Amino acid sequence: MATIARSTRLWDIVTYAVLGLLAAFCLGPIAWTFLTSIKVDDDIVTKDMVYIPSRITFDHYVKIWTQSDYPTLVLNSVAVTAMTVAICLVAGTIAAYSFARFNYPGRSQLMLGYLVVRMFPAVLMIIPLFIVMRSIDLLDTKIGLALAYTSFLLPLFVWMMKGFFEAAPKELESAARIDGSTRLGAMVRIVVPIARNGLVATGVFVAIAAWNEFLFALMLTTSQGARTWPVGLQLMVGEFQLPWGMLAAGGMISIVPVVVVFAVVQRVMVAGITAGAVKG
Amino acid sequence: MAALTLKGVRKSFGAITVLRNIDIELEDGGFLVLLGPSGCGKSTLLSIIAGLEPASGGDILIGGKRVNDVFPKDRNIAMVFQSYALYPTMSVRRNIGFGLEMRGMPAAERETAVRRAAALLQVEHLLDRKPANLSGGQRQRVAMGRAIVRNPDLFLFDEPLSNLDAKLRVEMRTEIKRLHDTLHSTVVYVTHDQLEAMTLGTLVAVMKDGILQQLGDPQTIYDRPANMFVAGFIGSPAMNFLTATLGGTVDGPELELEDGQRVSLGPDLGDLGAWRGKKVVAGMRPEAFQSCPVDRADLKGKVEVVEPTGPDTMVIVDVSGTKLTARLGARERPALGQSLGLAIAPTAISLFDPESTQRIG
Repeated sequence: MATIARSTRLWDIVTYAVLGLLAAFCLGPIAWTFLTSIKVDDDIVTKDMVYIPSRITFDHYVKIWTQSDYPTLVLNSVAVTAMTVAICLVAGTIAAYSFARFNYPGRSQLMLGYLVVRMFPAVLMIIPLFIVMRSIDLLDTKIGLALAYTSFLLPLFVWMMKGFFEAAPKELESAARIDGSTRLGAMVRIVVPIARNGLVATGVFVAIAAWNEFLFALMLTTSQGARTWPVGLQLMVGEFQLPWGMLAAGGMISIVPVVVVFAVVQRVMVAGITAGAVKG
Repeated sequence: MAALTLKGVRKSFGAITVLRNIDIELEDGGFLVLLGPSGCGKSTLLSIIAGLEPASGGDILIGGKRVNDVFPKDRNIAMVFQSYALYPTMSVRRNIGFGLEMRGMPAAERETAVRRAAALLQVEHLLDRKPANLSGGQRQRVAMGRAIVRNPDLFLFDEPLSNLDAKLRVEMRTEIKRLHDTLHSTVVYVTHDQLEAMTLGTLVAVMKDGILQQLGDPQTIYDRPANMFVAGFIGSPAMNFLTATLGGTVDGPELELEDGQRVSLGPDLGDLGAWRGKKVVAGMRPEAFQSCPVDRADLKGKVEVVEPTGPDTMVIVDVSGTKLTARLGARERPALGQSLGLAIAPTAISLFDPESTQRIG
């Protein structure tokens, strides 16, 4: 017994040590960015590494918000993310429901097609997308960027939601149809509320992906009118200057919406992810 | 309420045919039980009546009106599902009233109707709960409330009791019977439980492999099964089958067993002339037997197993190499290995063609 207890305790220590290391590895950069964002410039560029700021300042936050176009960049990001999520919610929900419930010719091929889009590296898609966007005058527009994001986020949304819809019992829709709903009505009134957790979880995944996306935004936007924050931050790196403090402050600001969204929907999201996992 | 007519209803999924030419006529206020083993097509037939599945052929008439091309919501039917299918995100009140809500009934009228249905099913105190907070029996009642609140032409029940425990099942069976007697509704009820079929139905349709085996009132189906499948499916323990040769004397036909025993069939079995000298299968229900002295017995055999069940004693007897089950009185305890005499009335014997398995007398 004693041996088993000792061995269990040892394993616990090892497990926590590994988890602690991993957590430090993941959270370290965020902590470092935060510390940099509140350091004075003299503490940032030094001969010897300064870990703890000698003086705390919020100048970088004030400066990036008032002396650069960062607010516009953030607003653009919000708009593009909202549009991407909206398109995915409407088109993706209907598509996922149809895959989950109906059997029609070409269904499997279509689902495979959705997956294939995600099998190719993003770089491969950018040039054709650039040409398409240019030819339909959507280059350097927020809606153009949202459509570009949809091209690779919609498949993810559809595949995830398909699992949630399949988990909802078919009999509920039959009952609703007998009770007086149309097929679409049964989906909206009965199935979507049941899959709500999944919908929130999947929506958050899409939102975060769109919020953080860099490559497409870099290629498909050329002006401040549609540029998003990741590209804007990158462009602040000049040939002769590297405003570390402002970059760090910008990074920290960009995390805020993600943290807020997570805090709000955390419970629903975890429930959604677990439900999907059990089904899968 | 309305009558239901099925005319030559067929259903195929690709090359697989699951229903073949189903013809059923159910009168207004009748209680039709679709009975059969799993996979016999009874639930598919119910889905076709509900409009959830299209028929591949034939006509469905509700109240004399052909409804093949009518949406489920416009058929004025209500259905109770095996899994209850209560909307998990809605309260019991909204679950019951959902059909009325969909039909645009004003909230005040709806509330009255919901309360009336809830009172009838004794679930008034549960109206604000969510389905997840109800027991199996309560869910079942709510599902029935949802069905009766709309006062539909036709009630459809899809194995509504199979998820309940044995005691609750009996209770709810009585409840359904009471509701039918109170509301005089037309009901189609799917089950694989022959006891439910016998107790509830005014008309029983026994199905197997998508084919209607027999349609009749429960007593006829029990007394005069159309074939060996129906005979074996209805009744518990199942009907005994004994293969014998049909012989006869001037007094009438009789069964000749391989070991020389003879069972008189009486004069009332109809024209069996064509079967004389041929093998037939005799069907005898366990409850048709009575024990009697061996010298006056219709059948004699050796007692192999004795199973007291409380109200009866099941005795398995080896008669001419075939094991027959006899349901005897609770106090009867024949000894193992003992020779037991069994008496049976000739009218309680069904005869079947061993090849086609159809009833011959």
